[in-house]
Amino acid sequence: MTASRTLPVVEPTVVDHAAAAARFNANPERVTWHDEALWFVREKRDHAMTDVAEWETLRELASSIKEHTLSRLDEYLLMFESAATANGVVVHWARNAEEHNRIVHRILESHGVRKLVKSKSMLTEECGLNPFLEARGIDVVDTDLGERIVQMRREHPSHIVMPAIHLKKEEIAETFAAQLGTEPGVSDPIALVAAARGHLRERFLAAEAALTGVNFAIAETGGIVVCTNEGNADLGIALAPIHIASMGIEKVIPGTAELAVFLRLLARSGTGQRLTVYTSHIHRPREGQELHIVLVDNGRTTQLGRAGFWRSLKCIRCGACMNTCPVYRRSGGHSYGSTVPGPIGSVLTPGIDLEKYASLPFASTLCGSCSAVCPVKIDLDAQLYRWRQIVADAGHVTAKKRHTVRIGATVLAQPRVFAFLGRATRLALRMLPQSIVAAVAAPWSRDRDVPVPAPQSFRAWYKANRISRRPGGEQ
Amino acid sequence: MNARESIMAAIRDAKPADVARPDVRSVVARFPQPANLKETFAGSVALAGARFIEGPRSELPRLIAAAYPDWGRRVSVMEASDAADEERSPHSFADTDVFICEATLAVAENGAVWLPLSRLRHRSAVFLATNVIIVVDRACIVADLHEGYASLDVARDGGVFVAGPSKTADIEQALVIGAHGPTSLTIVLVDGAG
Repeated sequence: MTASRTLPVVEPTVVDHAAAAARFNANPERVTWHDEALWFVREKRDHAMTDVAEWETLRELASSIKEHTLSRLDEYLLMFESAATANGVVVHWARNAEEHNRIVHRILESHGVRKLVKSKSMLTEECGLNPFLEARGIDVVDTDLGERIVQMRREHPSHIVMPAIHLKKEEIAETFAAQLGTEPGVSDPIALVAAARGHLRERFLAAEAALTGVNFAIAETGGIVVCTNEGNADLGIALAPIHIASMGIEKVIPGTAELAVFLRLLARSGTGQRLTVYTSHIHRPREGQELHIVLVDNGRTTQLGRAGFWRSLKCIRCGACMNTCPVYRRSGGHSYGSTVPGPIGSVLTPGIDLEKYASLPFASTLCGSCSAVCPVKIDLDAQLYRWRQIVADAGHVTAKKRHTVRIGATVLAQPRVFAFLGRATRLALRMLPQSIVAAVAAPWSRDRDVPVPAPQSFRAWYKANRISRRPGGEQ
Repeated sequence: MNARESIMAAIRDAKPADVARPDVRSVVARFPQPANLKETFAGSVALAGARFIEGPRSELPRLIAAAYPDWGRRVSVMEASDAADEERSPHSFADTDVFICEATLAVAENGAVWLPLSRLRHRSAVFLATNVIIVVDRACIVADLHEGYASLDVARDGGVFVAGPSKTADIEQALVIGAHGPTSLTIVLVDGAG
């Protein structure tokens, strides 16, 4: 296909995560609220995990199944295509976001579809499908409640599993009052959900086509699996005469024995449930229905070819790395400026545009909590560290950071210089007034107290204590 | 090159060295099994937010009537009954208050029940009805999903695992039962022949 390139989906400005995080932190109470909401989900995950004695074995299995599948991705995709085609499914291939959007539009246009309902699909967010279709006169309604809320507010999801986690119920109540006619000031979640249910039920019944995401595609059977709690994907599929499922090519797995492993991990890791409410297995269209599956690359084969990063494609989009990340919890999903935020987003997105997303690998303390909770054992912290080196080599870090790190490296490589500077710093901390010390340590000292200097260095302490107290050569 | 060929070429160019397929079945065969399938299943059903009742199959009508006292004054659909023979559009179930059907498999570890959707005549009612009642034969309970998939033919039947009524926590993490689908789910575990 030689179709002309359309405009990029996201505006080509450079994302400054630290600056965006600082804006989010302007309201400390809100940061605490956001932090606690996500930590609550992380704790639910911990609780669900402890019920499964074989949890670590499942993670090992899941990781090796994904690595196996990615190492034979071409074979499994062809196997999937041939089984799905035999089931009466129309399979499409898209190299990039633009091809994906055009394929979806062509299917809708050929049936004169004007009303589309969509269930959650981060891929279509990535591709910018909604604005593409809206510009062509198609009414697109996101039906996952969280996605519907952010769609009504003209925002993007801030989390891949809980798209409206950044919003307070009072803000949602305002949006609903303005757009759904609910009583202003009524912010009870039960009342708000009831209003959304009524509003979306009409849309489901009127839909001329349904688009869903895909959690897993089974190569051996040619079927797709869609997981939801709300039942929105199933209502779309059960009612609309056309079903389009969009999936990244990394979603394919070998068979149902493997599927069982992932399903036992997915909901437990994501929300602490044992399984999502609906786990739908779709293999063929209903009587009189058309089923289209669009397989999308959009940078995935490039990531597959990166030795240090291909394992990021194992991701099953549970969101656990976001819920546990101390930086995500305190900076909010929008600060990443990327469809997928958090640790996994910071590993996937720099591969799409290194300069634009250069700040994301630094949106981490490298504490490794993300890797510890990842159900498919992606080495997220190691990949973040690798991206930092690539970003620095490409010259996308500030001169200040570059020089500071260079000086640090010089000092740490020379024990005598290190010892001298340690003495000098301890002396300075004791002698100089706090205001001067804080000014020198800024911006580090903005949210921190400058520490009280120790009376001696660790090495001096060690010499004085550890060695002299050694009893009879033991230890 | 068309998109398919060029994606294939890109994968062959990029893919990492071959990683062996793990022997999932032999690994999962060593996993511990619950001591009491029925109790584990009932506990998982409750955790998923569904109601759990049980009794002999011969008393099914009485069990359902007890669960829904104002039954009969509502529109109801009983899958596999005579009334199910009529052809109806999927949209016509929008006002269904109660839908009853039977699962062919139940999973103890997570409380999910399997509905072979393509064999249900009224599949949209599973998601449209306000209340759903799913009958499960005690003999259908398996320990976990590994055992479940070993006995399912998903490609032939298509289908859905249902674990609880539809729900959402999208507003401030407050759990609300009854999102777009059913606002209640009742699992009726039956024993013995009809």
